[in-house]
Amino acid sequence: MNALSRRQMLHTASCGFGYLAMTGLAGASLTAKPPRLRARAQRVIFLNMAGGPAQLDTFDYKPQVGKKPHAGSIAEFKRRGESGLWVSELLPNIARHADKLCVLNAMTADTSIHAQSMLQLHTGDRLRPCPSMGSWVAYGLGTENMNLPGFISFNTAKPAEYSAAQLPSVFGGTPIGVNGEDMSKATISNIFSDHLPMRVKRRQLDLVQAMNHDHLSLRADDAQLEGVIQTMELGFRMQAAAPALLDLSQESKATLERYRVGKNFAAGTCKASDFGRQCLLARRFCEAGVRFIEITHGSWDQHTDHRRDLTANCATTDAPIAALLDDLDERGLLDDTLVVWGGEFGRPGLTPGADKDQTGHQHRAFTFWIAGGGVKAGHTHGSTNEDGSTVVEGAVHFRDLHATILHLLGLDHENLAVVSGGRRIRLTGLQGGKVVKEILA
Amino acid sequence: MRGGWAARLLCFDGAAFQGRILVQMQETHVPRTLVPTLMHRSSSPATSLPHIVSLFWLLVGLSVNAADMTVEQRSFFESKIRPVLVKQCYECHSQEAKKLGGKLLLDAPSEMIVGGESGPSLIAGKPDDSLIVQAVRYDGLEMPPKKRLPDHVVNDFVEWVKMGAPDPRADLPKTVKKTPQEPLWSLKPISDPKPPKVQNSAWPSKSLDAFILAKLEQKNLQPTHDAEKALLKRRLSFDLIGLPPSDTSDMSDTSDYVDLLLNSPHFGEKWGRHWLDVARYAESNGNDGLSRNPSFPHAWRYRDYVIRAFNEDLPYDRFITEQIAGDLLPADSPTQRDRQLIATGLLALGAKPAKAMNENFEMDVIADQINVIGSGLLGLSVGCARCHDHKTDPIPTRDYYALAGIFRSTETMWGAAAMQSLTAPQTPLHELQAATEVMPRSELEPIIKANPPHRPPAKPAFKYASDAPLAMGVRDAKKIEDCKLNIDGESKKLGAPIPRGFLSACGGGTVTDLKQSGRLELAKWLASPQNPLTARVFVNRVWLQLFGEGLVTTPNDFGLSSERPTHLELLDHLATRFMREDWSIKKLIRSIVLSRTYQMASRSGSATMFSHHLRRRLDAETIRDTMLFATGDLNPQPAIGSLIQHRDVLINELPSLHQPSSQRSVYLLMLRNSMPPELTPFNLPDATTVMDQRDTAALATQSLYLLNNAFVIEQSRRFAKRLFQTPAEFEKRIAQAYRHALGRDATAAELQRGLDFLREADAMLVSTQTDHPRRELDTWAAFCQALLASNELRYVD
Repeated sequence: MNALSRRQMLHTASCGFGYLAMTGLAGASLTAKPPRLRARAQRVIFLNMAGGPAQLDTFDYKPQVGKKPHAGSIAEFKRRGESGLWVSELLPNIARHADKLCVLNAMTADTSIHAQSMLQLHTGDRLRPCPSMGSWVAYGLGTENMNLPGFISFNTAKPAEYSAAQLPSVFGGTPIGVNGEDMSKATISNIFSDHLPMRVKRRQLDLVQAMNHDHLSLRADDAQLEGVIQTMELGFRMQAAAPALLDLSQESKATLERYRVGKNFAAGTCKASDFGRQCLLARRFCEAGVRFIEITHGSWDQHTDHRRDLTANCATTDAPIAALLDDLDERGLLDDTLVVWGGEFGRPGLTPGADKDQTGHQHRAFTFWIAGGGVKAGHTHGSTNEDGSTVVEGAVHFRDLHATILHLLGLDHENLAVVSGGRRIRLTGLQGGKVVKEILA
Repeated sequence: MRGGWAARLLCFDGAAFQGRILVQMQETHVPRTLVPTLMHRSSSPATSLPHIVSLFWLLVGLSVNAADMTVEQRSFFESKIRPVLVKQCYECHSQEAKKLGGKLLLDAPSEMIVGGESGPSLIAGKPDDSLIVQAVRYDGLEMPPKKRLPDHVVNDFVEWVKMGAPDPRADLPKTVKKTPQEPLWSLKPISDPKPPKVQNSAWPSKSLDAFILAKLEQKNLQPTHDAEKALLKRRLSFDLIGLPPSDTSDMSDTSDYVDLLLNSPHFGEKWGRHWLDVARYAESNGNDGLSRNPSFPHAWRYRDYVIRAFNEDLPYDRFITEQIAGDLLPADSPTQRDRQLIATGLLALGAKPAKAMNENFEMDVIADQINVIGSGLLGLSVGCARCHDHKTDPIPTRDYYALAGIFRSTETMWGAAAMQSLTAPQTPLHELQAATEVMPRSELEPIIKANPPHRPPAKPAFKYASDAPLAMGVRDAKKIEDCKLNIDGESKKLGAPIPRGFLSACGGGTVTDLKQSGRLELAKWLASPQNPLTARVFVNRVWLQLFGEGLVTTPNDFGLSSERPTHLELLDHLATRFMREDWSIKKLIRSIVLSRTYQMASRSGSATMFSHHLRRRLDAETIRDTMLFATGDLNPQPAIGSLIQHRDVLINELPSLHQPSSQRSVYLLMLRNSMPPELTPFNLPDATTVMDQRDTAALATQSLYLLNNAFVIEQSRRFAKRLFQTPAEFEKRIAQAYRHALGRDATAAELQRGLDFLREADAMLVSTQTDHPRRELDTWAAFCQALLASNELRYVD
């Protein structure tokens, strides 16, 4: 029996070519064959707002009601656009896009511990290593560009957040820049070297491949070795494709200005993330056909100096996100790209007028928003009580968010699964999630 | 309680309870009947029956039954208790609940007494001891979770429990499920099966071969032919010492060659590294969730301990005992004492989440310790039971907290955590007596000076001389106490304290010396020949490293969801022999590699049934070491200490600390989230959980590494320079290059191909590099890089 197991096949696959393309090839050792639903979106840009953004001062407006002062929004809010969506004055540029946003004000998570909740947001599981959302998407849909990985994660914090875990590692995220690194220099490891001119490099690779083919010919039918030969070629092609995408020198001055590339408002917890560059790169990788792009700004963890750090965090992210939405819209990409904004949890509110300037963590009610492919625009889903501390209706757990994102991509979260070590692993975990039907356009 | 394997006490009550008592062993859900939740570890339930009966009466004897209820009691319940239960509790604690909280039902009288995972929710007549009262009082437990009930309602509950918890509600219909199952294969005692009879009796050369051949013959399969000697030599060398053969001479006697390798100091470097994967070894904490990644400046001592243990063939039972309870073992000399203290580093090396805002911090540290023992030594995912009874394995939550109590009574000494109190509180370290003093290394001085910490570190809480030899590890805590059950894994929601003990599924038992943490007893329980898992799990790990596939394909999981091994008899045969031969790892490896099974020719794909050997890619460390070997650069000496020794710093605030090194990869600086860039492309584990089997997937990032990485380029140039020392004829140099990199002679076609490349590359470079000697180096280096990047170097037949 010389047939390959499917796992093996995927293991040697040079890039995440379509999951469905694989199903005809061999056995069923990787159980699930997700029935394809109608796909409303083709790719995802996830704006990871690490640290727990203050939802009451950004999207979930809580004015004072009743006689006694209570916790609520300390930022000013206005109704925006035709939809009349509430958006904080700290986000004037995102506010322009209010009619494109679908705001989920009743998000819930299981824990207010950063690391665990961040892991749950990414993988569905807060304690054990599981495949990242981006890996699932790349696994389910494959990549549209054979010269690039299917899942790219910018300014990452932890490998566990972009890990393929139990999926074949070819679906793992490719990191560009780790947290704290200067993003203008961040790139894919080893993407470039000038020790030899390109022509010689090609000739050198031909020599390597000639040796590899000889080696293979003495070892008949070794799909693993054949896969490596393809992978060498992919790497070689990436050398050309990725640096070109990372190079912003051809972008106009106006564009760089719109995205605030290189502009940083570092203050307190707000880190210099060159978020503008990340947003512009997200657009470029999205145009190039990468399935899942994650960009990160942190930290929104405003335990002290809430007002100062909140202002800095908003100022850092507002214009770049708005520019990204502008460009995606203008290029028609917003029709089939999901833009997802949010962090691992939110924060309790402050009482306006009170001196207190410190906020903690709140995982029982916080905000996400989604824009683009297949979600209702200018829509608010879910609500919280008067001080924003608990959900009143429309609760959306991370699991439900995951189920919904997969659904919009035409993937069934129930069946997009692998069996590993006897456990059936899926993004929505043992409990499973619910597609939030109310927000589907 | 439910879902456990312990002996259970069942009492079928009927409408009013009749006192019929049953004790049965069962592993599925207990029927919903009146079950006082007594966990019995006793192996002989019958003998303890009278005891159980009396306890039973104590527990429920005061409960008021529907028949005996006064009108006032009924009305009290109906007006004050039932409405609150319905409104506040049923959402999560009734048969209608979408997701039953803590396996607790509050919609039937008997269920309230049975209780959920945390134990009985009420003890009639004893409000202070009743969990339901503690919960509504927000005393340890907090229920309902959203808001505390008003005081008068809380008082109603107290009153109600005091009067015997009269409850007129009908009980739920009984569903009696009996699904007696055979015990899990891995929990049965290890047997000593005889080698089976085979048709082709000429084939087996060792007893283990008979087990393999018998299975193949059952399936009408044949073992493949023996591997060529030269390929076998290469395989043995990589498998045993992680380096290519040191010469290309023929291997005259296989067993002599194996002994040579087993006695090489490189053996411990290779096999120690396998263990470091199990031990999730690293020299920094990793991102704590607040982006802070403090160094572990003394972790390297554990690394050296492990390497030495393998080189000295420390018996495995002793090896694990030292790692779990080395501090509690007697020592004949300061050196031995030091070694045993260092060994306990296993329990302190884990990746911890930040302390800030984390009420579960202490329990998170314990969870990591339980995980490394559960998955690493026992092959059971005990960790799942932190929040719920294990869904598939016989590990009730109680067992988890029985273990947790042992570690709660243990002080974990990770050190200063870079003096960042939000990350972790500072702890002391073991002070070594016989070890020589060490100073911080100079290489990192300029980097650390140039990058002062963003947030000023606290003062060191524990002061040691700057060159004092220290070690991470554990010791018994000042306060020895059992751990209370954490409901849903939350340390704010506490249930009853659980006596310290071991897993009930494999023998169980509780800690007998109540003045100690119980670690020594735990170690003895783990290292006992009666423990059905310890030897099996380790033997399987060794098999996996030698064959690329375990006999059990889930090396960290021997539980219900594991795949039942196709060769259970072989596993037991090896485990029995392993224990009989004093748990000698070297003897185990020797007997396996001298088998005919190990020496078969290879091919790709799955090694199912082991009809052939598996062609495999080298791991990250071996690839790097092999490149250094090819270029003649490898420094074979063991490293002394670590780059990070005696430096309490935050790794995340510093640029890369990795420095060029020509020593073996096992000695590189292993920082979580900042692993050596020379290793990361080749599927390095992240060292946060027990790594059983390294991934060998081919990735585009590996190609980029081979094409562009500075280390590879530097090695290519050194390789070229090495060739320049040999005669100037190109053919001779090419031949030499093949011998160095691939350990074989080049064919005529390969010589010609090399010549063609050198000529063409030279012609391409002539316009940009006019200096002839430099161009010659560039051309040859390009050729050498191709050899280093070839599949033949990275794959072993």
